[in-house]
Amino acid sequence: MSPRVTRVAGLVTSVVYAVFIVWLYVRQPQTIGQVTGGVASGFGAYAIDRASFDDGLRFFRNDQFVEARAAFQRADPAERDARTQFYIAYSYYRQGWGRVYVDRRLFQSGLDVVNRAAALAAGGRLAIDDPNLGMKSIDELKAELERGLTRDLSDLNPLKVFRPRK
Amino acid sequence: MRRQLGTGEHDEVDRLAAREAFVLPLMFLTVTLAGGFRADAAGVIRLVPPPLVALLLAMLLVGALLRARALAPERLMSGRRDGPGNLCGLIVLLTLFAATAQIFNALTPDAGLLHLIFTVFFIVLLWNTMVAQPDRPHLLRSLMVILGSALAIKYVMLAALYAPEPTLAKRVLTVLLEGATLGALTYQPDAAVTGYVAFFAAALYLVGVFLLPHAEIAELQDGRIAEREG
Repeated sequence: MSPRVTRVAGLVTSVVYAVFIVWLYVRQPQTIGQVTGGVASGFGAYAIDRASFDDGLRFFRNDQFVEARAAFQRADPAERDARTQFYIAYSYYRQGWGRVYVDRRLFQSGLDVVNRAAALAAGGRLAIDDPNLGMKSIDELKAELERGLTRDLSDLNPLKVFRPRK
Repeated sequence: MRRQLGTGEHDEVDRLAAREAFVLPLMFLTVTLAGGFRADAAGVIRLVPPPLVALLLAMLLVGALLRARALAPERLMSGRRDGPGNLCGLIVLLTLFAATAQIFNALTPDAGLLHLIFTVFFIVLLWNTMVAQPDRPHLLRSLMVILGSALAIKYVMLAALYAPEPTLAKRVLTVLLEGATLGALTYQPDAAVTGYVAFFAAALYLVGVFLLPHAEIAELQDGRIAEREG
């Protein structure tokens, strides 16, 4: 191979590697699974683990939210699937919801995840066709989580205890 | 009239081209990646970009390499080289700078008084090195000592001192240190894997600096490559 060809090949390799490193620093993956999933998703080759997702859904419908999140996270280790992230956020909402008060820590976690789901969904829009859910879009869930985190005079309204969990 | 190159000289030209096109950029990019790696006790990974002070330290060190002729930029970029040759040279220089910044990022505590102390320590050492104008072998030895000592202090001594389950003696020592500095001397140790990655990055960086084209290299890179490509 001539030195010129070697240099051109080296240039291409270096640029690709540099772009990959910049991508890693921007995305800030927290696990090796997120790195591999992110790369696979870049090539359109990422798919969630269907069996784990179904397990998560089953736990979610039985109000076993911690178990549901574990299964959803197993299904989507790279956190690249908007639908799975939506269900994780929803599990935080349902677990944190209370008739008298909400668990702010869980609601904040839910808000973080629903924001991630919005970033992953095309155009930030996602509609879930699940009759078990009271809120079927990212926008509704996000608004509900934000309402739960907001403190105002309406918190003192005693009629709030009659509001339903969505 | 150009003379024909012998087989051994062809191999040498190919080796030098491969070094500046593949070996050096990939080594320095790997150091750039590894230098920002942090893992906490829970196994959560973070990639920390270099702070501004790391960029300034990198400028100082690259300046010291230039003054010691441990880096000969004219062998990477010059009017006598073709376009891809100059681009490769530019990539080597840019990746060297990025790797240098990330090495300082890896070897400096992320925040607090210790961050300041380490930074001052690096600035004084590098400034002293620049003023002393050492030759290439002395500079490389000095660099090895600087990086090695910083690695040992951060990832061996401080990590042991601020380990999650310290002994009574360590606890007394850290309380005394924190008391003497009015609580400013705090440190959050990373998981052990961070130290191993930093060691790997520092070793790779030193090898990369050793392989940089320097003033003592024979005329192969300029003359012979130009002959072959001409």
